[in-house]
Amino acid sequence: MKKVLLGLVSLAAIAAVVAWVLSAPQTLSETALANLQPGDAVRGEQVFWAGGCASCHAAPGAKGEDKLRLVGGVKLESPFGDFIAPNISMSTQDGLANWSLEQFANAMLKGTSPDGQNYFPAFPYTSYTRMELQDVADLFAFMKTLPAVDGKAPDHEVGFPFNIRRAVGLWKVLFLKEGPVVAEPLTSETDLAVWQRGRYLVEGAGHCGECHTPRNPVGGLELASWLAGAKAPVGNGTIPDITASEKGIGSWSVEDIAYYLESGFTPDYDSVGGEMVSVQENMAKLPASDREAIAVYLKNIPHK
Amino acid sequence: MRFLKYGIAVAALAAASLSLNAAAASDDPVADRKAVMQSVGAAAGLGGGMLKGQIEYTSAAGKAAIATMNAAAHTFGDLFPDGSDMADNSTAAPAIWDDRAGFNAELAKFAAATGAAAKASGKEGPADLDAFKAVFGPVLGTCKSCHEGFRVK
Repeated sequence: MKKVLLGLVSLAAIAAVVAWVLSAPQTLSETALANLQPGDAVRGEQVFWAGGCASCHAAPGAKGEDKLRLVGGVKLESPFGDFIAPNISMSTQDGLANWSLEQFANAMLKGTSPDGQNYFPAFPYTSYTRMELQDVADLFAFMKTLPAVDGKAPDHEVGFPFNIRRAVGLWKVLFLKEGPVVAEPLTSETDLAVWQRGRYLVEGAGHCGECHTPRNPVGGLELASWLAGAKAPVGNGTIPDITASEKGIGSWSVEDIAYYLESGFTPDYDSVGGEMVSVQENMAKLPASDREAIAVYLKNIPHK
Repeated sequence: MRFLKYGIAVAALAAASLSLNAAAASDDPVADRKAVMQSVGAAAGLGGGMLKGQIEYTSAAGKAAIATMNAAAHTFGDLFPDGSDMADNSTAAPAIWDDRAGFNAELAKFAAATGAAAKASGKEGPADLDAFKAVFGPVLGTCKSCHEGFRVK
């Protein structure tokens, strides 16, 4: 009996050590930043709108110029708790003024904070991890030009056990993957360069999958149903299927999709609404070629 | 004594107007407001199609699109009585009842734009596509902000 007990305790100890090691914060390698060009704030602004930063990090309901005041405060409700977007303005006391590019890149691409803690994946680094490091550098350069706004956002409202940041490290082992979701377009007639640009925007900065893909019980994305729509994280709503299925946007042309992203009107002239308004307004700031690329990608990925 | 008669008369008038209101109010506001919004969608589809060049412009069509939107803008607000917020087939957001002032403000913007368009249309409708665009564009611009806060979709 004593032997069995001893055996069990040792197993538990080994499991704990393994979990501890596996859940260690992931960071970029030392050489990763070595060959970067200096960040270009003009290109960075495009990355900023593609990434939708203002939609979460500007004050709730912000419009126009206020979208550049990244004081935080928007609440993202989920089955795991309510997450409140922090201040990422250039405030020295409450924002990112003292951050280095390396720290910013680790946050965006690895979901790891400057003091080595895991960010909760309400921050969509599982998508941002697919971004090019140069784009992250450009984004950082742009963000440095934005106003410093003081004010610390409230803490997240997350209960036990979801508030254990170390455990997110294990979640990352399972769900933080850098490679593309869709390897190639459905048909070979698609312009590959355009499709790949669309893929980069949708799967990376655009982080469309974070809302439009269903999640499993532990909050990882069900990639087999990529972009096929999902239940709203809280409440009874649904988030639409944006693949080319019949229930989705199968009847839309590439021009229809691009026009929707530009204007907010569907082919039937129904208007964009709810949380998607902010996304559409971000997409409207991108060059037309990017909206077209997104449309080409969406029409050429697996669907039901 | 006179005050009593006066009081009864006022009460009777109040009761009469209340019942008139009830008669004017719909049995099924949810169905009614859906029909109204669908007419707006159809008008937007017609107007938008002409703006995009997919449907040929005629001033009669332009006038029809504007008139439909204008009628909707002026009647829509009455179709959200208290208590109709729990309908399950409705995409009306709870915010309509929680923030009635905000909803009315959005409706006022819509009605102002459609009213201006209707006035500019005149009897024949906007003369050409450019005239139509000048008045219809602002109408289309009012859709988003209301849909953002007051529709669950």
